[in-house]
Amino acid sequence: MAWFDFIKRFFGKKNKMSIGLYGNPNSGKTTLANKISKDWMGKEIGSSSNIPHETRTVLKEEKVTIKEGNKELDFDIIDTPGIATKVDYQNFLEYGLDEDEAKNRAKEATKGIIEAIKWLDDVTGVLLVIDSTTDPLMDTNITIIGNLEARKIPFIIAANKIDDEKSNPNRIVSVFPQHTVIPISALKGKNIENLYKEMIKKFK
Amino acid sequence: MEELKMDFISSDALENATSMEKIYMIIERVKKGNIVVMDGGLTPAERAELIETTMREIDIDNFVGVDVHTLEKDSTSFFGFSKKKTVVITIVGPANLMKTVKKQSNFLSMVANLNKSSNDKINLMDKIK
Repeated sequence: MAWFDFIKRFFGKKNKMSIGLYGNPNSGKTTLANKISKDWMGKEIGSSSNIPHETRTVLKEEKVTIKEGNKELDFDIIDTPGIATKVDYQNFLEYGLDEDEAKNRAKEATKGIIEAIKWLDDVTGVLLVIDSTTDPLMDTNITIIGNLEARKIPFIIAANKIDDEKSNPNRIVSVFPQHTVIPISALKGKNIENLYKEMIKKFK
Repeated sequence: MEELKMDFISSDALENATSMEKIYMIIERVKKGNIVVMDGGLTPAERAELIETTMREIDIDNFVGVDVHTLEKDSTSFFGFSKKKTVVITIVGPANLMKTVKKQSNFLSMVANLNKSSNDKINLMDKIK
C-alpha cells in the first residue's frame, strides 16, 4: 500500500501544475492571485493591503482552469509571502500598527519568507510579480530569477501596477531582456488577457 | 562619529568553503555591524540560503536583516555566441546601516548611516568599473 501511495504521489506531482506567485512585499502578488481566482473561480483567495507583508503564509487555490479558445491550462495557484532580505518592525509603525502588532507581524513575516523559499522546490511554474514603479534591480528579484533559471522552472515576469503614473515597465524589459515580461495592472485588470494567453503558452 | 568596520574577503578565502560556511562567514560578521565585501558572488542557491538564514537570525530589536548589493560584468561564453552577467563584487551589510544612493549595472554608491538620530553619515563606496 505504501508503494502504491508513493507511486501515486510521484506521478500525481509530475502531472500537477503549481504556479507560484513570487516577488517583493507589496508588489501585488495577492492582488494578482485574487484577480486570477476571481476571473476563473468566482472568488478571491486572500486579503491585500498597503502594509508590507500582509500575506505571511502561503495561500493556495486548487484546480483553477484558464481558457483561451480551445486551449486550457489547469493549475493550482500558490500565492507566497513577499521575499525580502530584511524585516524591520519599525516600518510597520508608520502604517498605524501598535508596537506589539508590528513586532508580531515582523516575526510572522520572517517565517513566511522562509516558507516562500521552501516552496521553490515544489512549484512547476512561476509568475514573478515586479512593481513597475520601483527599481527592478533589487537583490531579491535577481535571487528569485537566478534560482528559477538554475532549477529550470519556467516563469513570466508580470510588470505590475501599470495603472500608476510612475510605472515604467520598459525598465523591467530592458533589465531582463532575455525573459518574458507582460505589463499588467492586477488591480484594474489592465492587459490581464495577455498574461493569461502567455501563461497558456509558457506553462501548458 | 562611530567606527565602521569593513571586511574584504578574497575569492581564494572562499574557494574551499562550503555554502553554509560562506553564509555563516557573512552573517556572523554582519550581525556584529560589519560590512562584508566579497570578491565574486554567491550561487543562486547560496543567495536563497543567505535569505533563509538571515530570516532565522533576525532578532527584531537588534538585527533586522541584511542589504545585499552586487556589481556585475558581461562575460562572453566559450564560443562567443552568448553573453551573461558575472558578479565581480558582492557587498553585504546590516540593513539598518546601509542606504543605497545610486545603483546602475556598473555603478554603485552607498551611504552608511551610523547614527540615524544625528544623521552622521559616511560615504561608503563609490565604485565605477
